[in-house]
Amino acid sequence: MILPLGPIHPGLKEPIRLKLKTRGEKVLSAEIDYGYVHRGIERVMEGKTWQKGIYLSERVCGICSYIHTQTFAETFEKIAGERAPIRAQFLRVLTNELDRIQSHLIANSTFFKAMEHETLFVYMLHLREPVMDAIELLTGNRVNMGWNVVGGVKMDVNQSHLDSIMKIMMDLESEYDKYVEMFEHGPLLGLRSRDVGKMTRDDAIKARAVGPVGRASGLKHDLREKHHTYHDNFDFKVIWRKEGDNYARTMNRFDEITQSIRLIKQVIENIPPGEVRKKINIPAGYGDWRNEAPRGEVTYMIETNGNLINNVSIRTPSIMNIDACAKYMLKDVATVPDALATYASVDPCIACTERSVIIDDESQELLERQNKKEE
Amino acid sequence: MLDALKDVIRKSSIHVCLINTGGCNGCDIEVVALLSPRYDLEQYGIYVHNNPREADVILVTGAVTEQWREKLQRIYSKAPEPKIVVAIGNCPLSGDVFNQEGSSVYAPVSDFIPVDAEIPGCPPRPSEILAAILGVGPDAIAAKGRQKP
Repeated sequence: MILPLGPIHPGLKEPIRLKLKTRGEKVLSAEIDYGYVHRGIERVMEGKTWQKGIYLSERVCGICSYIHTQTFAETFEKIAGERAPIRAQFLRVLTNELDRIQSHLIANSTFFKAMEHETLFVYMLHLREPVMDAIELLTGNRVNMGWNVVGGVKMDVNQSHLDSIMKIMMDLESEYDKYVEMFEHGPLLGLRSRDVGKMTRDDAIKARAVGPVGRASGLKHDLREKHHTYHDNFDFKVIWRKEGDNYARTMNRFDEITQSIRLIKQVIENIPPGEVRKKINIPAGYGDWRNEAPRGEVTYMIETNGNLINNVSIRTPSIMNIDACAKYMLKDVATVPDALATYASVDPCIACTERSVIIDDESQELLERQNKKEE
Repeated sequence: MLDALKDVIRKSSIHVCLINTGGCNGCDIEVVALLSPRYDLEQYGIYVHNNPREADVILVTGAVTEQWREKLQRIYSKAPEPKIVVAIGNCPLSGDVFNQEGSSVYAPVSDFIPVDAEIPGCPPRPSEILAAILGVGPDAIAAKGRQKP
């Protein structure tokens, strides 16, 4: 029998439709329907200046909003053949890692909620609030920060703010291990998460899984290793595991948070003085840039005529990860709650995913409605 | 007597359903942040359940996209009376940046379902969302419940 879940369902945070093919309690396979939050951002961006484009790119996704603006700015910097000032690069790393911590914490909290473990769900949110404070202290906003511009960041940071962020990180680090241990060695949590939703390395390669999902299946691939700022200035370890189950994906995120705290400490200790923004003259041309978002690899491909954006294409990590989940993880799962937990462990971000719309050639329904609206 | 009892129950146990009709997720995670110990939504008797069939308050975030134009009304009709709708963020009010030429967005939400309270902001702070739900929620639900159909 086909069991439809969504688009609005107690187990789902965002609108998506999961069709689970079940026999008895067992889930045999799954199919996922998209399209509930497609807004047409790329189409809106065409013919706009980068100042408007960067504002729109931030609203691709609310959870990983920061990395979209950074990638957008770095694409334009690549077209111009320049780099942001070194202090701005350090500040970008600082914000990126803070954003990664809060994103991973909310991803894990969603997973615990899907496993019906309210205690850890609330603990994760409890850990996340000080990190949101740090982001607000640095950029002035909690979610959509408006912090990046082409050629640097918008404003400089005071030493007192950096000291406060350092203190928040110290507090987080001292509390953190207690909560990780609850999950790492919890016998019941282990029973529900180990060997559930398993994806092998070969399957991960076939599905093009990226980010913590790919790394938990043994794909040691982190674009931060190749990014010039990280490469030249910082020391960090790429976290990866071999198991490829729900437990590995969640633990992978937990361990990455530890690395992010390490990186933030390095930034605050070594941040050089200087400018945070410089003027960049943008020539006509095409450029693409890839960055490691909290969920994996995000790519921007932009074509500009020197002033306006001619064409833009955004590829976000959740597209590959959700497909990997539907095809390789949600097969022969023991129960429906396990299938929901597996889906949550992938950390799906639907607002990111909805990047294109496919129009049925026969009906042309969507096109017609579009035309009516314009009239 | 019975009405007074119903009032008390309606005011003190509010189930919330969150519908993202095509936003950027920012408002959704601010609602999730409300569940954290700092804001602690559940101390006011509010429970975020995401089930429209038992919802008293429907939170709408996001401009209305193509898929939601009919589904939003269907979900609204599934929620039992009395119910109120709170629109969170700029998207349900005006479409925000998405409401431009070429996009597939049909804001505002009030064209499709009646909206009782609006919270502007991109996204609004969790404390503002909490204040709005508490400000309009319990009394409006009780008042609507007393109306004869």
